[in-house]
Amino acid sequence: MPFRYKGYAGHYLEVDLTKGKVNTREMQEEWARLYLGGSGVSARILWERTGPQTEPLSPDNVLVAATGPLTGAMFSPSGRMMFASKSPLTGIWAESHVGGFLGPEMKYAGFDLVILHGRSPKPVYLFLNDGRAELCDATQLWGRETNVAATMIREEHRDPSTEVAVIGPAGENQVLFGSITVDFYRAAGRTGLGAVMGSKNLKAIAATGSLAVEAHDMDKYLQANEQEMAKLSDPLWTESIASLRKYGTTGLVTMINEIGRLPTKNHWTGYYEHADDIGPEAISKQYRIAQEACYGCAIGCKYIFRVKDGPFAIGPAGGSEYESIMAFGSNCLNNDLASVLYMGTRCDLLGMDTISCGKTIGFLMELWEKGILTSKDTGGLDLSWGNTESMAKLVEMAAKREGIGELLALGTRKAAERIGGDAPMYAIHSKGLEASGQDPRAHQSVGLTYAINVRGADHLRSLSSLEELGYPEVIIKRFGKEKYEEIKKITSPVYKGEVIKDIEDLYALVDSAVICKYGTMWPPVYYFETFINVIPPLTGMDEWSSMKFVREAAERICHLRRAYNHRLGITRKQETLPKRLLSDPMPTGPAKGGLPDLDYMLDEYYTKRGCDLKTGFPKKETLVRLKLDAVAGDLESRGLLASN
Amino acid sequence: MENSVHLNSILAIDIKRCTGCRNCELACSAAHTGTFNPRRSRVQVLKDEVRNIILPVVCLQCEKPLCAGSCPTLAIAKNSKDILVVDDELCIGCKDCMAACIYGGIVMDPPTGRAIKCDLCQGDPVCVKACPYAAIVMLPAKPDGARERYGGIETLSSSYGLVKEEA
Repeated sequence: MPFRYKGYAGHYLEVDLTKGKVNTREMQEEWARLYLGGSGVSARILWERTGPQTEPLSPDNVLVAATGPLTGAMFSPSGRMMFASKSPLTGIWAESHVGGFLGPEMKYAGFDLVILHGRSPKPVYLFLNDGRAELCDATQLWGRETNVAATMIREEHRDPSTEVAVIGPAGENQVLFGSITVDFYRAAGRTGLGAVMGSKNLKAIAATGSLAVEAHDMDKYLQANEQEMAKLSDPLWTESIASLRKYGTTGLVTMINEIGRLPTKNHWTGYYEHADDIGPEAISKQYRIAQEACYGCAIGCKYIFRVKDGPFAIGPAGGSEYESIMAFGSNCLNNDLASVLYMGTRCDLLGMDTISCGKTIGFLMELWEKGILTSKDTGGLDLSWGNTESMAKLVEMAAKREGIGELLALGTRKAAERIGGDAPMYAIHSKGLEASGQDPRAHQSVGLTYAINVRGADHLRSLSSLEELGYPEVIIKRFGKEKYEEIKKITSPVYKGEVIKDIEDLYALVDSAVICKYGTMWPPVYYFETFINVIPPLTGMDEWSSMKFVREAAERICHLRRAYNHRLGITRKQETLPKRLLSDPMPTGPAKGGLPDLDYMLDEYYTKRGCDLKTGFPKKETLVRLKLDAVAGDLESRGLLASN
Repeated sequence: MENSVHLNSILAIDIKRCTGCRNCELACSAAHTGTFNPRRSRVQVLKDEVRNIILPVVCLQCEKPLCAGSCPTLAIAKNSKDILVVDDELCIGCKDCMAACIYGGIVMDPPTGRAIKCDLCQGDPVCVKACPYAAIVMLPAKPDGARERYGGIETLSSSYGLVKEEA
């Protein structure tokens, strides 16, 4: 019997790496109906199979590689997939999404998702092709950088259309922010999932296929799809989309510096006077050579660059995103653009998260400035701000865990704990994840986004661009005219709890469908109606025609991920910000003097989310309403429900 | 765009505009197979990420088609609209046409084992509409159209070192 719902490949794969066994199973109806795919289905799987007792780098941990119904189904932008596990960096919920071509290819190879557990006795990689799955020997690939390993896999199967997710030396060495590089220069960067692969002796996941993804009603789906695509042409976003096509995310360097939100000098301030040196025009003039796009994407934010000569010659390769430029640039007071691009690409090749790597380097530089670290600790390396030679060396040393690279490989929180003394004061993270390229002192709702994000301090679970870019029509349509004035104020905490709860719900579906934040976060083109419009004709799941059902699915996914973290000890106390971002007023720049009113926003968020204000735990009736009865029961037995 | 009964048209791809998103493949497979399956697409985007090459290939509707000349069963011929098509009934899947076409314009359909190639969607190509970057256009097969077709490969020529790059 083929799987009841279309839009899915219809099968998933269980991989026991310890035994070297693969088992193909039929996709589960309930996963699709209640959790859609991607992040939602992963939450369900990890909730059932991992918990407080699971050591992230042990064979017990489970890694999920998942797609969603829209993956590879011509929705733009839908070339994405995601990985989820328990994070070795943070010890809590981990998910990381990536564009490119592997997600769709996994479905054309016959699998919606892959669940991996155990540890292989020797290096292996997983090869998926037309409904078959095979663990292949990766002895020759072990130790190779990501582009070499991916090319070798293509050559071994004599199929240049094979798409590959691969770890580099950093993941093999279990650097806690080891990433997974996909299609040569895209990365599932955050939360250390490359280290999880390394701990399992799993070098890569590769897929190639010629199986069809069907639609329940193709004509109706293509029509719905066309309606959604037409929204991209709305003059409201012409400028944003033109900027993304011309500069990719590098355009944000200028835009964000202008509002004083560009992390500079280990997040000391939000304004970098040399931002233009590492900005979009500089990249475009000096190093950009082509535009690229993920599968079926009409936005096409990726760019290809090459630094032809000098100490930082590298490429052609996929160019650094805004976040990498921030991490290795402004955050380290480094305005040497070639070095920034070089380190970004070295991280892709070594398989490390650029944000965590750059942010941890910035943290060490501040410790150097404060005299907490000296050349005795660094093996003679001078860690002065902007020392590009030392920075480039640190990147290599982290991947190999050599010398001070051993400390760097732990990320800021664990490195600070090991150094002790005042070091933790300078570690800029929430729940163990290094803060990404925003600053709540310049943008109130970023503070709430960082604090409540289930994977730690970053923007991708609920960042709101509504008040940043001021789309009045969108704000009024979504939240009503009477709230418009307060919501549009980037420095006001009022109604931000409601806004962030709403956007977290929206992104939960975006991350389960699986589509991109471009088109949803910026510009805010698609909203809940989009899912009602495209999911039923694609899948045949009629319930998804109801706004109530769709909204509930989004809330269900958010609550399940939160419950996962509650079980690991996360409460309101951990849903906070590092001291610098919470209580040191912004010292310079356009947002000078700014501070987030986190408690005000948290109260509103917990109320809207159906949680207890004191603990952040969910109310039982909230979980029951979302058909999460079993989750409520589990939390109740551990004393992790809101007390009524 | 000219659109006569006798099409005599070609698809011209400007690879400087192509971002390698492969939406053309998805649209083509949806139109020809009713499913999303890029391996069954009549237009294919070849990629070499290490060398930064993105090369979309599609049948050029040659005046003297090498594929047709190589076919032992005469399965490839112009139809009533002057579009070069494969006759499914006659094709035996021998792949001679694939070997003969020096442009990569004809491929094998994985589930049927038969040759497939662009049929210009009988005059209204879905790939042209599906390309978000306007990299594919349909042009009349006049000298102007052919020139456009050649113009598209400048970037590729420079990648191969055939054209000298500016600093």
